[in-house]
Amino acid sequence: MSQTPQPEAVPFSSSRIGRTMAIAALVLMAFSGLSVMFAADSAPQVTLSVAKAGPREVEVLTQRSVVRDYKFAWANLNLALQSNSTAPLNGLLVGPSAAWLNDSVTSQRRNGITSRYSNQVHKLDAVFYAPEGDVIELHDTAEYDLEVFDGNKTIHTEHAVVHYIVLMTPAADRWVVRQLQSVPHF
Amino acid sequence: MSWSINIACSDRRRLDWKTGISAVLALVTLTFAQDVSLRPPVGANAGNPSAIGTNGSGSATLYLVSPSVTVKHDIELGQSISLSAKELQTSGRYIAIVCASNCNSVSFFVAPAKPVNLMFLVHPSRAPVAQSDAVSGVALAFDEFHNLVLSPVPVQFQLATKGSSPISHNAETRDGVAWFRSSSGRSAEPLQVTASIGGDVGTRRVVQQVASDPCNLRIKGERTSKGIVVETEPVRDCSGNPVPDGTIVTFTAKNGNGTSSVDAPIKQDVARATILAKGPVVISAASGVAMGNEVRIGGGD
Repeated sequence: MSQTPQPEAVPFSSSRIGRTMAIAALVLMAFSGLSVMFAADSAPQVTLSVAKAGPREVEVLTQRSVVRDYKFAWANLNLALQSNSTAPLNGLLVGPSAAWLNDSVTSQRRNGITSRYSNQVHKLDAVFYAPEGDVIELHDTAEYDLEVFDGNKTIHTEHAVVHYIVLMTPAADRWVVRQLQSVPHF
Repeated sequence: MSWSINIACSDRRRLDWKTGISAVLALVTLTFAQDVSLRPPVGANAGNPSAIGTNGSGSATLYLVSPSVTVKHDIELGQSISLSAKELQTSGRYIAIVCASNCNSVSFFVAPAKPVNLMFLVHPSRAPVAQSDAVSGVALAFDEFHNLVLSPVPVQFQLATKGSSPISHNAETRDGVAWFRSSSGRSAEPLQVTASIGGDVGTRRVVQQVASDPCNLRIKGERTSKGIVVETEPVRDCSGNPVPDGTIVTFTAKNGNGTSSVDAPIKQDVARATILAKGPVVISAASGVAMGNEVRIGGGD
């Protein structure tokens, strides 16, 4: 009677660790891929130049706040128009810009339309900062992929470069977008 | 009888007749799909009706995506599409999408209407008199639909106080904004600040001009049975305005043993204090950056 050679015993723990590491690596790869996709889709890129701003100099902390809150505003604007809900707006838009966006969402919902602003890149130029710091005017050269859907049907796609005149004012803990008006050119 | 179609450029599979007909129909659709050409409105203004021209024939669907509203209409190709004043109230970029067998789009801009409203921000609400660049104002011109008017608009700023001729400052909006900065007046009284467009549209704000820091502080004192009573002469700023009640004056007494000080608020133009000190003392006063004279009081023996 011949004996079947036994395979060399591999310590159970080391094989398990190896498998776990492989799975972890795969999960990491998948998540990194997802995060790249998500970043490309949803996180707007915003840069600000204050070289032309006046009469007041834009303080460094103000620059950071403006960039942060403008980025949030656009990310949430996209979410609102994509989901046809004003819940994501979260007070980042006020005054006319909030009213217009509310109207947009309502009319989109009524007509079964959604739209998506993806791969957003915003180049901001501060062109006016009030002497007392209570209003800042920005020129935004925005670049994004715009898709409009009627139900599940894509009715419009474009890679657009759009110029916006933006008014932002300080609120209690953030800068809010009061005016967001597109123009043919600056 | 059975149908079969060979699609030579595919993978040479034999397809059933349903798939074949679908493919043929798709080809026919593609062949006859017409590109609708759209003519956007030129020089559209907010609140004014306009139209988009189309060619072709048959029915289609129009989607108008504006900064504030998205509308969907059934239209007939070959006719111009009317856009109502209400649909064009918001200034900005509009996208007209017309879908028949396929979708075509065109974008155009709507400009703001004429300015009828000013947002006017003035700072501060209280300003000390005779200070350079103490008062500033920013005016933003809007049309009746809350669009920022971006074409240059002449704005007149006027600063006026009672009994003096107003000071005017003319500016022109740039990207919708005009601003000014000015010194405050010499007397403690309300300053009326007005911004107007063409004399018609005006917005008024009030800045309360208040006395500045005390100037030429002078004190006098005498020894009494309760101590040394010191008081200021009526305290005024450098323009002669009485300093507001509650402004603190600090009296300091020095004698051989050391220094003591007491704070006293101004009440009806005068600050008063009683200092308990024995022997000869030198008393001085200060308020803000203003230093007063020194008073020497004897020992009183």
